[in-house]
Amino acid sequence: MSFLLKFKDLEEQREIPNENYTIKDLLNELELSAQTIVSKQNGELVIEDTVINEDDEIQLVQIIYGG
Amino acid sequence: MKCSKCGNPKVIIKKEQSGQLLCKDCFIESIEKKVKKTIKKEKLLDKGDKVLVALSGGKDSVTTLEILDTFRQRNIIDICAVTVDEGIANYRQGGVDIAVRHAQRLGIKHKVVSLKDEYGITLDEIMQRDNHKGSCTYCGVFRRTIINKAAREMGATKIATGHNLDDEVQGIMMNYLEGNTDNLTKLGAKTESKAEEFTVKIKPLREIPEREIGLYVVAKDLEVHFDSCPYAQQSFRGEVSEVINQLSENHPTIKYSTLRGYDKIKGILKKEMQKEYNHGRCERCGEPSANRLCKACSFLEELGCD
Repeated sequence: MSFLLKFKDLEEQREIPNENYTIKDLLNELELSAQTIVSKQNGELVIEDTVINEDDEIQLVQIIYGG
Repeated sequence: MKCSKCGNPKVIIKKEQSGQLLCKDCFIESIEKKVKKTIKKEKLLDKGDKVLVALSGGKDSVTTLEILDTFRQRNIIDICAVTVDEGIANYRQGGVDIAVRHAQRLGIKHKVVSLKDEYGITLDEIMQRDNHKGSCTYCGVFRRTIINKAAREMGATKIATGHNLDDEVQGIMMNYLEGNTDNLTKLGAKTESKAEEFTVKIKPLREIPEREIGLYVVAKDLEVHFDSCPYAQQSFRGEVSEVINQLSENHPTIKYSTLRGYDKIKGILKKEMQKEYNHGRCERCGEPSANRLCKACSFLEELGCD
């Protein structure tokens, strides 16, 4: 069970570690703040409570850089 | 989970401060409505205004341009734009290119002014000097001077900047923490100077949180420059911002209440604390100045620029 993560120049397949694994869990794992990121699931904007499914493409867009 | 307004299951935001859920269309509409409400409430625009948008190509200025353009389309105002190129390698050019494309797309008059052309020095060159006062000090003063000058040259009656809720709250807290009561009197939705050479400044996005502006440009597929200024980390503003964001996690309405509180005391602050400046002229450039030299020229003299 894996999904494709796109973030800046990074593009990698990642395992889904458990059931009901959300984008918020992913952001925590990557040590990114939900305040500075917006997320897309298969090209559509979603909220961080969204559960990641097998073969999803999850794109994280950093919108705030502090300056 | 469904949109609190229309029931669409494709929700793109859960507002922490109110618990409201919104789909893409309702979210875009809510932002535009709120900005228009600020414009009306604070009387930011008058019919026939020519508004100069300070357009960096970042999310805030592009959103300001996008929403103000709806007033231009209704023939209420005219719009022009200026982009300041501070001369920051591997950072600024991306924003300048995007600003040019937005101006072309909307068919508005736009000019790019560089620090190098205007003052003969770039911000990168200043930062190589041993005696520099920090990047934001120069950037803020030079940018403000260039934008003011552009407003006069382009015949603008207002200058619109992309300051958002986070910027305003940071400004309030920074000035308070530094005990800078004079600067504290200058914040707000609309700032007017007694010197008529200084064009009135307006902040239409003042009540929109920064993250929502980021979401707005992504939702509307607007091309913007998402990048980090290489000098941003050095600023006091960055530190203050971090503290406010930390507090917001458990207190999601804190930015709004800080702004509301400030707005309530602003009138008294202005009355009691605002300094009366002399309105002379800078000996060097002729711009309005309280002292012999304006801020920009005193920096240039220190830096040994002709």
